[in-house]
Amino acid sequence: MPSNFGDRSALFAAGAAAVCLASPLSAAQHEPVSSLTSGNVAQVNQATPAVPENEYPSLHLSGFGDVNFLAQKRPEGSRGFSEGQFVLHLASALSPRTNFFGELSFTPRADAGTGTPAATGFNAEVERAIIRFDQSDHLKVSFGRYHTPINWWNTAFHHGQWLQTTISRPEMVQFGGRFIPVHFVGALAEGGFPAGGWNLNYQAGVGNGRGNVISRGGDAGDNNARPAWALNVFSKPDRAFGLQVGGSLYLDRISLAGRPEFSERIVAAHAVWQREDPEVIAEIANVRHEQVGGGPVASNLAYYIQTAYRPPSVGRLWKPYYRFEHIDIERTDAIFATVPNLDGSTIGVRYDISMYAAIKSEVRVRRRVSDQPRANGWFLQISFTF
Amino acid sequence: MPRRLLHVDRLIVLGALCSVLAWWAPLRAQATTDVAVVVHPDVPVDNLTLGDLRRLVLGDREFWPGSVRITLLVRAPVAHERNVMLMNVCQMTEAQFRQHWIGKVFRADTAVAPKIVYSAEMAIEAVNRIAGAITLIDASQVSRNLKVVKIDGRLPGERGYVLR
Repeated sequence: MPSNFGDRSALFAAGAAAVCLASPLSAAQHEPVSSLTSGNVAQVNQATPAVPENEYPSLHLSGFGDVNFLAQKRPEGSRGFSEGQFVLHLASALSPRTNFFGELSFTPRADAGTGTPAATGFNAEVERAIIRFDQSDHLKVSFGRYHTPINWWNTAFHHGQWLQTTISRPEMVQFGGRFIPVHFVGALAEGGFPAGGWNLNYQAGVGNGRGNVISRGGDAGDNNARPAWALNVFSKPDRAFGLQVGGSLYLDRISLAGRPEFSERIVAAHAVWQREDPEVIAEIANVRHEQVGGGPVASNLAYYIQTAYRPPSVGRLWKPYYRFEHIDIERTDAIFATVPNLDGSTIGVRYDISMYAAIKSEVRVRRRVSDQPRANGWFLQISFTF
Repeated sequence: MPRRLLHVDRLIVLGALCSVLAWWAPLRAQATTDVAVVVHPDVPVDNLTLGDLRRLVLGDREFWPGSVRITLLVRAPVAHERNVMLMNVCQMTEAQFRQHWIGKVFRADTAVAPKIVYSAEMAIEAVNRIAGAITLIDASQVSRNLKVVKIDGRLPGERGYVLR
């Protein structure tokens, strides 16, 4: 009996100890720090300064970078290790309604330097420089150099390789590509309306459009008297959070030295499911060129569809993906005479090393001409933001 | 002796019961603690839909009616309020939320990212001081001097309130 009593005493002691230990411990776990004691509140207030008011200008600097390894046939591009673009992004609120955004890129090129043959080096470029005045959510007016808002990918990821799931951009919006005018210099009005949960947004712009080299915008002025017009409308409905669908129209006059002028009309559409389980991005664009004053009309089509999936729980760091893309150029198109066709697949996987860095590996299979063999390549990239 | 044993037995049972209650009660309280949406007293809004709140927290909406710029105050990671916001409002993980805002600023959609607050006191002080501010605060911390906004017509503690 005494031994039995001793056991019970031990049990009682354990129970009492548990009560004493459990209460403050659990309270500390679940109560706000400030509610522990008044003394602690004073300490917390001293240790955590008050949130500052907005100050102007408030410059926020961030950047993106990537390092790549490429194994592919020489005609498709470079091989071995290569530095990606080094991108600096500046965002500065100048007042509660005025903001400036800048994006600078430093791109490694085999011919960036001087001499014969040209030395390798970096090309510096002002990718974007935008000053925007915000009247309200319904109307924001800006001026500057943009990524043309007629393609979802072009404006969603810009030069931030880390932001996009894949290593490569779809070829229809490749840097230096010609299918879609990637840059646009001018003015843009944009805004959004709740529209009963449909969340309709618009972007309407007028600017210089394509320059003498059609892959580049008219940075130093328009090369003809006809401005380019861009309109983009999209919806992000509340009922399908993560979905964005929209369409774009772009009108321009293309003037190239020693050639007749052409009218350009681009009609594009996109549908994006931005949640990562799964992620689906689909875009299509039709580019139509018509010689001014009558002449041949050429119609060119490009589209891609990309899917990715981030598994739950333990597998969340991995994100396998696949993209199919197609470009069909009409051979009679004088503007796109040197733009190649493409049937290509990209399959790969992204692994998030940390919250702000990822390693990606992908295989690209491309066919430029239907009766020619495919060109395959393997690509590895470490991309990050800082 | 038998009476004493009975007394000890009761104490043991009582102790065990208290132990269980001591662990269970705070967990239960946390599981059902609502999170209130609190705005600066001058913000001319009394009710938001969950969709409105989502657009606001994700930076798709930047102005209150009257064109006062919204200042979003967000608790630092691991806070209960932040977890509720991520899970019930944004439907995102911490990594997705951070990537969303990095992309948002990078796309030039906004030049002002959310301000981080490290305690309920810091959030309360800031939301009352900064014009257009909005934050999420544990409902147990809400006092009379705070303006609490209804979400889908419901206040914290009411049946069907979504932020818990």
